Amino acid sequence: MMADVLYSIRSLSVDYNTRVGAVKAVDHVSIDIHKGEILGLVGESGCGKSTLGKAIMRMITPPGHIVGGELSFEGRDLMTISEKEMRDVRGGRIGMVFQDPMTSLNPVQRVVEHLTETIQTHERKVSDSAARQRAATLVEKLGIRHDRLDDYPHQLSGGMRQRVMISLALALRAGLVIADEPTTSLDVIVEAKFLDLLRELRDEFDLTILLITHNIGVVAEVADRVAVMYAGRLVELGDVFEVFADPQHPYTKGLLRSVPNIQLDGAELYKMQGSPPNLLHPPSGCSFHPRCPAAMDICPRLGPDLLPVSGDHLAACWLYQQQPTLGKVG
Amino acid sequence: MALTEGPGLEAEPEEGWQYALERVGFVRRILRARRWYGADWWFVAISTVMVVGFIILGLFPGVFAPYSAEQRVGPRFLAPGADPDVTILIAVTGSGIVDLEDLAQESGRPPIGVVRGVPTADSLRQQAQVIDDRLRGDDGGLRLRPNIVRFDTQEETLQAVANGEVLAAVLQSSEYDALKDQFPTLEVGNSVTGEAASQGGFILGTNQIGQDVLSRLIWGTRIALIIGFSASIFALVIGVPLGLIAGYTGGKLDRILTVVMDSLYAFPGLILAIAITAVLGPSVFNVIVAIAVLYIPTYYRIVRGQTLSVKEELYIEAARSLGAKGREVLRRYIYPNVIPSVAIIFSVNVADAILTGAGLSFLGLGLPPNTADWGIDVARGQEFIQTGWWLITFPGLAIMLIVLAFSMMGEGLMEIFNPKLRER
Amino acid sequence: MSPLSLIFLIIGIPALAGLIYIFVRGSTGLRRYIVTRIALTLPMILILATLVFFVMRIIPGDPVRSALGPKGSPETVARLRDQLGLDDPLLVQYGRFLGDMARLDFGRALTGGRRPIVDEMSERFPATLELVIPATALALIIGVVGGALAAAHRKRPTDYALRLYSVVIYSIPIFWLGLMLQLLLGVRLGWFPIAGRIDAVVGTTLDRTTNILVIDSAISGNWTALGSALWHLVLPVLTLGLILSGVFVRLTRINVIETLQMDYIAAARARGIRERVVVYGHALKNAMIPVITLIGLQVAILLAGAVLTETVFSWPGMGQYLVQRISARDYTAVQSVITMFAMFVALISLAVDIIYSLVDPRVRY
Repeated sequence: MMADVLYSIRSLSVDYNTRVGAVKAVDHVSIDIHKGEILGLVGESGCGKSTLGKAIMRMITPPGHIVGGELSFEGRDLMTISEKEMRDVRGGRIGMVFQDPMTSLNPVQRVVEHLTETIQTHERKVSDSAARQRAATLVEKLGIRHDRLDDYPHQLSGGMRQRVMISLALALRAGLVIADEPTTSLDVIVEAKFLDLLRELRDEFDLTILLITHNIGVVAEVADRVAVMYAGRLVELGDVFEVFADPQHPYTKGLLRSVPNIQLDGAELYKMQGSPPNLLHPPSGCSFHPRCPAAMDICPRLGPDLLPVSGDHLAACWLYQQQPTLGKVG
Repeated sequence: MALTEGPGLEAEPEEGWQYALERVGFVRRILRARRWYGADWWFVAISTVMVVGFIILGLFPGVFAPYSAEQRVGPRFLAPGADPDVTILIAVTGSGIVDLEDLAQESGRPPIGVVRGVPTADSLRQQAQVIDDRLRGDDGGLRLRPNIVRFDTQEETLQAVANGEVLAAVLQSSEYDALKDQFPTLEVGNSVTGEAASQGGFILGTNQIGQDVLSRLIWGTRIALIIGFSASIFALVIGVPLGLIAGYTGGKLDRILTVVMDSLYAFPGLILAIAITAVLGPSVFNVIVAIAVLYIPTYYRIVRGQTLSVKEELYIEAARSLGAKGREVLRRYIYPNVIPSVAIIFSVNVADAILTGAGLSFLGLGLPPNTADWGIDVARGQEFIQTGWWLITFPGLAIMLIVLAFSMMGEGLMEIFNPKLRER
Repeated sequence: MSPLSLIFLIIGIPALAGLIYIFVRGSTGLRRYIVTRIALTLPMILILATLVFFVMRIIPGDPVRSALGPKGSPETVARLRDQLGLDDPLLVQYGRFLGDMARLDFGRALTGGRRPIVDEMSERFPATLELVIPATALALIIGVVGGALAAAHRKRPTDYALRLYSVVIYSIPIFWLGLMLQLLLGVRLGWFPIAGRIDAVVGTTLDRTTNILVIDSAISGNWTALGSALWHLVLPVLTLGLILSGVFVRLTRINVIETLQMDYIAAARARGIRERVVVYGHALKNAMIPVITLIGLQVAILLAGAVLTETVFSWPGMGQYLVQRISARDYTAVQSVITMFAMFVALISLAVDIIYSLVDPRVRY
């Protein structure tokens, strides 16, 4: 049964212009987000996952800019629509949950005002009292008592603030929610509750969630599929159990091995060799090759495409693909 | 268990590519910076040129100024660009009387004609007095004590010369030009002040005493710069060390100093400067001191703030870099942060100091009354606002331009140095 | 009732009401903050007054003699010195000075009829207020709107133009701007008067209760006076207001730029909030909070500007009084005026901090 594709991203590239040149933050990434799934997007800091998340909502600000690609969402190419139309999409059709709820909420605005403003911006005709009513119902569903609506953000606990953030993303029944490092600033217990909440919401509201995080554990807990990014490119994609049980790409393998295992008592922590890539001058060919224990001749010369290894499990690695014959160089 | 790096932790980049710009040569960096910083680069560039220009003017005023600042070099109230209407001597052709001095005699009082009701008589008498004093000292037996004969019109005056009634007449050159043809037997001598009848123009006019406005502007640069720089340096020399000490040591000293500095900072600077100069008396040094006192708190606060934030970083660093000496730490961490800030403040300070100084001299306080200073010129020109607009316009414009130059430089430097405001 | 007292009442009663409100409704944290803040005001005034006192005492020579000039016979000088207690030890004088200031006893002017300085202040302080308040309002309007515009259009022509404006206008000597305005709009075009507060003849018809002419004429329905007063206000207010606006444009711009980089701004945009609402509704409101505190600091510049503006426009306010008294070498008056200025600055600073604590909900709760 083919899953419905909610958002189709084709060959998306985002560059940042710095004093010393253009940094390729996202390099020709193509991926489909299926309706109703929780897709985890993992990678280390600086791999481009946050940029990808922002790009999906066309929220890249200078010095960054989208170099190219196609963003098909609900039958429209978001790259070609006007800014005004994009504003309707933001918050209306796609919602975003940010990492730090303390700084992501306006300190001089009451909680309820955040919500009513969002509602009334997208649906002009809604009256103040109706908007307030909707806000109250919404936060109740998320486990916040409605008498806290008139509080200011700093009066709420971290977990509550995060739930307010979610309610903002859901205020207009968006179909897609992008959560950018939503649990990084939460403690483990609150994090667990939060993830449970995500699952419930997905079931109840029929949401699709793109979960961006560097925390593999979170993805393992709650995601259906996982996509692994490295140096601005997708290197592996597939069902979360499959990928974690049987990682194909050397980077994913290294990533999973690096997770400290409490059962391995006294053993040294695994460390991947080499250092994170220089995005200003990325390594040629496959950007992982300087650090890859399985690097071959072709790896520095040509970058592999993201192709199926088995079924829906894809990897971008020459280990699993037919290597083209390259002419002799030099 | 060894502490190793894994994914998710920031690792040190092997090659410091982001420092590549710093390694490039200074000049190239400046030019490359133009593309990056855009208009801010222009801010700094233009203002630097202006600042350098002013400094050159201040160092070598004599080179650029056509006249001296104190001397009366021309007619009073000459509008900018107007023909200098000089007072000249007119005598019969061939009489040999070209300068006032030619009329000196051993005895008696040579008659000289002037038009009634015109201030020409003043300059005549003044100039004659100057020459007379000199002649007396010369011991040559000659004296110049003219007998000033007044006539009703220019024609009568000139007629009197032609008749021999008076030995010479003193008129404005424009007046003579108009009547020249009627008196073919007369010729023009030199100007009564001893200069040739047509010297260079007075581009910006002359003031109420007859001094050249442009020259006074150029000479005024000197005092403006002296006050601006001295006051700022003075404030810096006191404020920066105090800020460093307060930030570094903290505790009671810090608290007391800060309260004092905050009070001083909040107080209207000009008013305090007024009080100090009123009390200390008019002199350049006192003005410098008065203004310097106002700016000490600014340096103090910024330096103290920087020191405090660096101190916090240092505690983290302390875990890594064992055994760093206090003084070396100061030098390596504090100076690179503090120096750009201080440079920016200094630039803005000079601007402000000049402005305050101008305000002080405008009010008639601080500077000795004869100094060639823009503020004083504006103040003096006030009463002639109806008749001589250029008296106040140009000195004020000069103040504005020099303050602008330093302010712009500070503004531009701030945008370039301040990472918080740079594009993310 | 003297104008000064009336003004104190007008300002004081709402201020007191506000203070009571804070104490009743505010949290403990807020109360503690207010109390500390008030407690700090006193040392501030003290320090400044002390500074003024000692600066005045450095004068070489005899202040009384130089004030009276050749008119003062030795007996008069001696009597005056005795009256002012100038022969007492310095500390005693200092103590007396503090006591006087605490009771707001500003003494009498040394010259010009020995008028009680308080009376003089009574008349002149409202004049300065009438100049300063509209000027600040003008500066704020230009500044806030300009600063927000510049920040919203960062790195584009509007931004650079506004930054240039703020730098240029701050570089203009205020007295020169006043003179230029006088020259162009007053002398050349003849649109506005260049001196005084009100037409002399019309002024005699006006009943001066508060000595703020605009208010007085409005209260008594004297429309000619109102017109004349307003007309006389234009040039001085324009002068002071324009110069100040440069500072406010800069402050607002920097604060709005910093605010715009905050996460909640990006979050608001992610919800599809229109850019104009984001900048003027969200960012500006947050940016104004630090700007409010900085307004308090601008009072210093305001007073300095007022001194010069009043001199240029012959505006009979405190600033002009100060300059006149200095020329007359009247040190008692100078000392009192400057101390009064210090008090004023300290109180405004206090008021601003209190307002700040009311506006920022993080401090309030």
